[in-house]
Amino acid sequence: MSRYLGWFFLAVVMLAASAPLQALQYEVGGCRTGSGYKNFTTISAAVAGVPAGVTILVCPGVYPEQVTITQPLTLKGIRSGNANRAVITFNPNGNQAPNVTSMLGPFYAQVLVQNVSPAGAVSIVGITVDGSGINLGSPPPYVAGIFYASGTSGTVNEVTARNQMNGGVGVWVENGSSTSDTLTIENNSVHNQGFGGIWANAATSSTLTATVSGNFLSNLSSGGAIELLIAANGEISGNVVTSSPYPTSSAIYADGSVVISGNLVADVNKGIGPTSGTTVKSNKLSNVRTAMALPSEDTGAITSNTIMNTVCAIDFFGGASSSGTMSGNVINDSQYGFAGWSGPTITGNAFYNIDTIQTTSIPCPGP
Amino acid sequence: MSKYWMLFLSAVTMIAAARPAAAAKVEVGSCLAGLPKFSTIQAAVSGVPPFSTILVCPGVYPEQVTISQPLTLRGQGINNMDRPVVAVPQSLPGGGPGLKVNVTSINGEPFAAQVLVQNVTPVGKVTIIDMTVDGTGGNLGCPAGTGLAGIFYASGTEGSVEGVTARNQQNSGCGFGIWVENGAGPNQTIIVGNDSVHDMDSAGIVALSNQNPPTLAVTIETSSVTGNNSTQGIVSEGVSGTIYSNIVTGGAIGIVDVDFFQQTPGIATSYNSVADVQAGAGIGIVVRGGSTATHNKISNVLTAFYLQGGSAANPGPTLLANTAKNTALGVEFNCTANTTLNSNFNDSQVGFDNVPSGTSLPTAIYNIDTIKTGSCP
Repeated sequence: MSRYLGWFFLAVVMLAASAPLQALQYEVGGCRTGSGYKNFTTISAAVAGVPAGVTILVCPGVYPEQVTITQPLTLKGIRSGNANRAVITFNPNGNQAPNVTSMLGPFYAQVLVQNVSPAGAVSIVGITVDGSGINLGSPPPYVAGIFYASGTSGTVNEVTARNQMNGGVGVWVENGSSTSDTLTIENNSVHNQGFGGIWANAATSSTLTATVSGNFLSNLSSGGAIELLIAANGEISGNVVTSSPYPTSSAIYADGSVVISGNLVADVNKGIGPTSGTTVKSNKLSNVRTAMALPSEDTGAITSNTIMNTVCAIDFFGGASSSGTMSGNVINDSQYGFAGWSGPTITGNAFYNIDTIQTTSIPCPGP
Repeated sequence: MSKYWMLFLSAVTMIAAARPAAAAKVEVGSCLAGLPKFSTIQAAVSGVPPFSTILVCPGVYPEQVTISQPLTLRGQGINNMDRPVVAVPQSLPGGGPGLKVNVTSINGEPFAAQVLVQNVTPVGKVTIIDMTVDGTGGNLGCPAGTGLAGIFYASGTEGSVEGVTARNQQNSGCGFGIWVENGAGPNQTIIVGNDSVHDMDSAGIVALSNQNPPTLAVTIETSSVTGNNSTQGIVSEGVSGTIYSNIVTGGAIGIVDVDFFQQTPGIATSYNSVADVQAGAGIGIVVRGGSTATHNKISNVLTAFYLQGGSAANPGPTLLANTAKNTALGVEFNCTANTTLNSNFNDSQVGFDNVPSGTSLPTAIYNIDTIKTGSCP
């Protein structure tokens, strides 16, 4: 049999198999009813009870539950009447033990994506995950609004993650496995976390490609807002990170060959922390104590950024021996232009209102 | 005689007139070789021929400066330093800061301007580049609304303010970083770009015209304004032009287009980022009828957009391709008619308040507790 005939038969079989399912939609909360819907009262029941690959519509309302997703699907918040917010909240009567062990340590994840079978993407769209009430003491265990464990892929889009205090992270994705994972985290609202906003973490033997774009983050208290760590690669673009005066970490931090572009960072202590091989271009930073905090590795490419109202614009706190590619940046209103730099004069940038253009001292210590 | 001949003769006359006082390059301070030197900025801006370039050495200049001829005032980076600061002069014998009220704005308020551009002759642009204007110690107490402005372009002037820092204009609630205006008379164009404005106590950048159609076209771009408490970041009132790609954070209102008397054209506010506006009304962007707001990003404010000024007979505001997240209210329609709104909202307690009937609301909304509240007559 030719392979074209094979395709034909397969298509017929698929059509036949999917015909009864096509009419059925999956819904949580009871705002869509009728013969076309299979209804669930909890998100947990739905994600366990639907066929793989379908979309689960979640009605506006409050869902006090801890959700574990182990098959490919889309979880999507919908509008009903005048309301448009489905909130997953802490269940004070539920299990409060950690439910996943991350590369960092034990985590209590409000929405956990783990051991997905069959392989496929898990997408979460238009849902709010609220960590109010979770207090497991000093971390660890840590808290995550959404947690994609090793070996999982998918998309987190137009989600709100809020109030993950006490060692909490809004969205945590990681890969310590040998598979290649791809995560897209975009257009989310992430705020009021005790630790960090959106973190991606990978073991050196794995591949994790993360796209973190269009997210707005604020009011993060200790760690960085967006961090792509160790072997995670990808891009951090078009995010807005503000109002997070944490003392040590950079608002946006990346290891390795990550492109950090078009982000806005304002009203924070430290702005962007790139490392060797990182590309940092066309970002805007305002009212930041240290705009760029560069570690000891030779610097990557820092170009065409706009930096205003800082104490230190570019801080080589780690004693890097190379300034990498540093050009086309516009710096206005800084006490120090290049701090911690003893190398040759760095040219090719536009300076306005800099008290001291270059100093070997480190007046703004890095993270 | 044809008007072309008039122009030709006029040009000849201008060239002849300009020759005896050719534009020069001079310095203030002493950091450059081979240039005529002035010890104060005021002496330089008064003493050079029109259209000259004045390079200002790094240092502190405690003086109130009035510029009344076209020229370029440019900070000079040298010897590892690049910050000339215009500071408040020492106290007058009677006490108080040594600033004098030196201009009345077109809305009738007296101002002490630290750098005043006024009565510029011959006609031409005044360009201020790479200068810091620091208002520390200049608090006049705001008697009768007396303002303190770092840089003030008075009615009838034009030019650009680029790469400037205006800071610490604290004046009991009447302190402004950069103020530009134009009343009756020829149309003027002013550019405010790449500036850093912060620690004022009223508003960061103000552009004002009281004529209809507007006599002032502004471009306020790629600047950073950091507010606090009850401040407003960028205020445009009755002017045309663009507010583009600025960063405005803190304070009570980020960007506001005041509805003076519905001058048209309005202002185009685009690609700005507004965040952390939590004091008082906590409004990201105020858009009036006839103006547009597109591609702006608003985060962590109380109300993302506040609309005003549209009516059944007049054009409403237009808001397209904006993104707002983490707000208490997405859009306060204020019953503003003829509004065009298509933008993305995620994470708001209320989506849209006081929406006139017949207004179509955006569909790209996520995580909104209550989509619509209020009602309109």
